[in-house]
Amino acid sequence: MTDATTQQPLIELKHVDKHFGSLHVLRDINLSIVPGEVVVVIGPSGSGKSTLCRAINRLETIDSGEILIDGKPLPQEGRELAAMRAELGMVFQQFNLFSHMTVLENVMLAPTDVLGLSREEARGRAMSLLERVGVAEQAEKVPAQISGGQQQRVAIARALAMHPRAMLFDEPTSALDPEMINEVLEVMIGLARQGMTMVVVTHEMNFARRVADRVVFMADGAIVEEGAPDAFFDHPQTQRARDFLDSIKNH
Amino acid sequence: MSTSAPASRSVRDALYEAPGPRTRRRVRIATAISLILVVAALAAIGYRFYITGQFAPRYWTFFAKATTWKFLLQGFAGTVRVALTAGAIALALGLLLMLGRISHVKALSTVCRIVTDFFRSLPSLLLIYFFFLIVPQYGIKMSSFWMLTLPVALAASGVLAEVFRAGVNAVPKGQVEAALSLGMSPLRTTFKIVLPQAIRFVIPSLISQLVVVVKDTTVAYVVSYPDLMQNARVLITNYDALVSVYFTIAIIYILINYAINQASIYVSHRLGVKIIR
Repeated sequence: MTDATTQQPLIELKHVDKHFGSLHVLRDINLSIVPGEVVVVIGPSGSGKSTLCRAINRLETIDSGEILIDGKPLPQEGRELAAMRAELGMVFQQFNLFSHMTVLENVMLAPTDVLGLSREEARGRAMSLLERVGVAEQAEKVPAQISGGQQQRVAIARALAMHPRAMLFDEPTSALDPEMINEVLEVMIGLARQGMTMVVVTHEMNFARRVADRVVFMADGAIVEEGAPDAFFDHPQTQRARDFLDSIKNH
Repeated sequence: MSTSAPASRSVRDALYEAPGPRTRRRVRIATAISLILVVAALAAIGYRFYITGQFAPRYWTFFAKATTWKFLLQGFAGTVRVALTAGAIALALGLLLMLGRISHVKALSTVCRIVTDFFRSLPSLLLIYFFFLIVPQYGIKMSSFWMLTLPVALAASGVLAEVFRAGVNAVPKGQVEAALSLGMSPLRTTFKIVLPQAIRFVIPSLISQLVVVVKDTTVAYVVSYPDLMQNARVLITNYDALVSVYFTIAIIYILINYAINQASIYVSHRLGVKIIR
């Protein structure tokens, strides 16, 4: 909850364009996110919101434009790119926990492998994070043995173990059974409260309204509208946004 | 990977729905007819053996001698030695070929693809002739063990490279993305995330491939290496007993390969890999 005008943006996209063949998936995207800000990206499927999220740590390349992290251009490869990725936590729709490792090993891997922590340090860090997301009892199980909601909370702990400066969430609850969505959202709300910088692509409108500092509405690869959540949800400015909000209401 | 043992499924269960009463009756009738045919065929074979005198004691009594079995056992040991050595070399070489092939370095990848396809398409007998007839001409001296083991290993390595590659392709892309997003290097990601999972996926196929290696070793007679087949041929000449000896070692080969298959099923269960057989 910071004043967006006074601070250097942590993540900044300038005139970003991307095509998948003839499909224009990102159209002149301009977006800047200051430290501590929670930006929720919503929009119909195929609007490019996942691509936007994945472009920020170069899991998707862009055709033109610039992505700046802390004022510096996003590295294109090698050690610099890996170092940058280590500072941006990512949570995926499909959890993507390493299926051949236990929950604890999943969370310990990158801190030991990338940050060079000792196993004891990494274990301590991992266990306290697993405690924090409420899955410490599952530490010795493998991902296939725990529920989707638990897997996603482990995935969040795994990303947090790198002490990232920002977290990217790519539809973190879209693959979950309805009764497991809240346990994951609770963890995310807790993170936001503690001041984590977050970019969240989601269909959870209540979450957006409750947690977002800013809602970004995308359609057909472009940012159509953005604003404070109450203003956006109560008085959308564009017809496209009104249509979208109407289509997901009334159930 | 789940805690419960995976339900044993056969290909039949995977491909067809459960049969209804009419189908079950037809299956019973067909089963009865096939049983009669099998028994009839076995009886016919037994009868042919009988009238051609294959049951005559002179074809079988030497199996009562310890020396016969000692000799066959030496052959068995030779087969195992060649199969294991060739299998180990093929595993290592196959893995290297696959890693080269999936590399971003275009030249390396092309070379590895060509080498893989080359060994994969050549009959191992041709490779053995190459090592037996051509290589010595260039003054390279090799024992008969290596003249047999190397070509068998090379032939298998091409196949194994493709098996490994199938395993790597089976690892979901999200696993790599997750590792990269944590700041792991592409190389570390390959070795810590992709390969361990890929190898797990293909262990049953890798072990089955060992069956092919065992069968390939039977061309040992070309280089006169004393494997099971070669020693059997010696017995055949000694006792002038073709059918009984071949019959016996056929059973030994079947037992070896049955054991290998059982091992692969056991390993797959241990690793929680679901296989359909």
